Amino acid sequence: MSPVYDKLVDLLVDRFAVDRAAIGPDVTFEELEMDSLFLVELLLVIESEFQVKIGEEAAAPTDTIATVVKVIANEIAAAAP
Amino acid sequence: MSAAAPVAVTGLGLVTAAGIGTEATWDGVCAGVSAATRNPALEGLPVDISCTVPGLDPARHVGRRSALMHDRFTQLAIVAAREAVADAGLDPAQWDGARVGVVVGCGLGGVSTWEEQHRRMLEHGPAKVSALLVPMLVPNMAAGNLAIDLGATGPNFVTATACSSGATAIGTAAQLLREGACDIVVTGGAEAGVSPLMVTGFAQMGALSRRLDEPAAASRPFDAGRDGFVIGEGSGILVLEREADARARGARVRSLLAGYGASADAHHLTAPEPEGRAVLAAVRAALEQAGTAPGDIGHVNAHGTSTRLNDAVEAATLRTALGDGAAVTSTKGVLGHTLGAAGAIEAALTVLAVERSLVPPTANLEQLDPAVELDVVAGGPRKTALDAALSTSFGFGGQNAALVFVAA
Repeated sequence: MSPVYDKLVDLLVDRFAVDRAAIGPDVTFEELEMDSLFLVELLLVIESEFQVKIGEEAAAPTDTIATVVKVIANEIAAAAP
Repeated sequence: MSAAAPVAVTGLGLVTAAGIGTEATWDGVCAGVSAATRNPALEGLPVDISCTVPGLDPARHVGRRSALMHDRFTQLAIVAAREAVADAGLDPAQWDGARVGVVVGCGLGGVSTWEEQHRRMLEHGPAKVSALLVPMLVPNMAAGNLAIDLGATGPNFVTATACSSGATAIGTAAQLLREGACDIVVTGGAEAGVSPLMVTGFAQMGALSRRLDEPAAASRPFDAGRDGFVIGEGSGILVLEREADARARGARVRSLLAGYGASADAHHLTAPEPEGRAVLAAVRAALEQAGTAPGDIGHVNAHGTSTRLNDAVEAATLRTALGDGAAVTSTKGVLGHTLGAAGAIEAALTVLAVERSLVPPTANLEQLDPAVELDVVAGGPRKTALDAALSTSFGFGGQNAALVFVAA
């Protein structure tokens, strides 16, 4: 899909013990059994790994992976010189 | 004496420095060889030896997701509890979870998590602090996560009486059964306190052995040359049921928890009250609840930390309470001192001693302290018929607990 997507998938697999085969752009965090607590943790990890600032409200358990990829990509673009 | 109805011990689970599983731990304490070793994680600290659980692979033993979101003390509790429930022949998928309680002793909680996240905050700022910090470190998470793991929705809490915590939990669990609050209680203790800050704290108190060049000889309860304890980690979990319920379902009753006594020294932050009056009261209360005469106690799994003060006061108190007829051991010689888990691990070992009529030896006992006028078992395990046995536990803060187990 995109480098951002690939990196996010790697984070989900390596840091959150998500089954790689279960992940897809249209899959929601809920479907990956990631609740709101895990999502807060994920957003912290995303900020650290992608060097972006995103709020705690950037994603909800019902959002898809693609939604968060878009949020990250937008932040990266906004931060670009 | 008015004895209370005994409670059946139907399941045991142990995770200790002697190994993962009840039999590994039992074999280790009966071999009488200390599990203490140099710990690379403690390198450069005033004390760098510990009794650490070998070969625990959190991803394999509790699952990858649980391994990420649980501190080690919770992981140890989960491993021990799953063994205990299976040992009891119970299937959480089948039981009425509302009638299952969980009471787990824990003295410290997720101290490694605390230290790691504090380090991150200092070095990298608040943005690097994990959202899982709080749910990983709070001490109630051993019991809370067992409820999730086992589908147990009955009364659920942690007891915190320092190094008595595990014994306090078991005694309290028996009360829950007697009062009818639940039909099954998964109870015991869990602790993973081998962290650099905690080890340093205990070292600064002068509580830890400095026999750093020979770790396996450092924990030596009741020995004249003892100089402190070796910190350990682990979990011991028991499944308790009312005896009639256990018999009715055809469960194997490993032994009966017949008596529990608790007291407080009301004396000092850390030092035991020199006359041992409160300890004596706890032991006598446990005997009375069990309807057991002092001379009937054939074995004591002593608190026996291997500190100068504890062992001397405890020995004198046990001598007063029981005479010198009981075969005494301290399994901390092998396992080190697991703090909030110790009372539960030792209770489980007392159950096994009664069940198997075998008293494990006290590791490293070469020259009995002349002040210890007790029959302390050394060298190897001792075969002896046991109708009743006592396990004693004492915590900083002067909190004491005593448990009496009798043959089923």
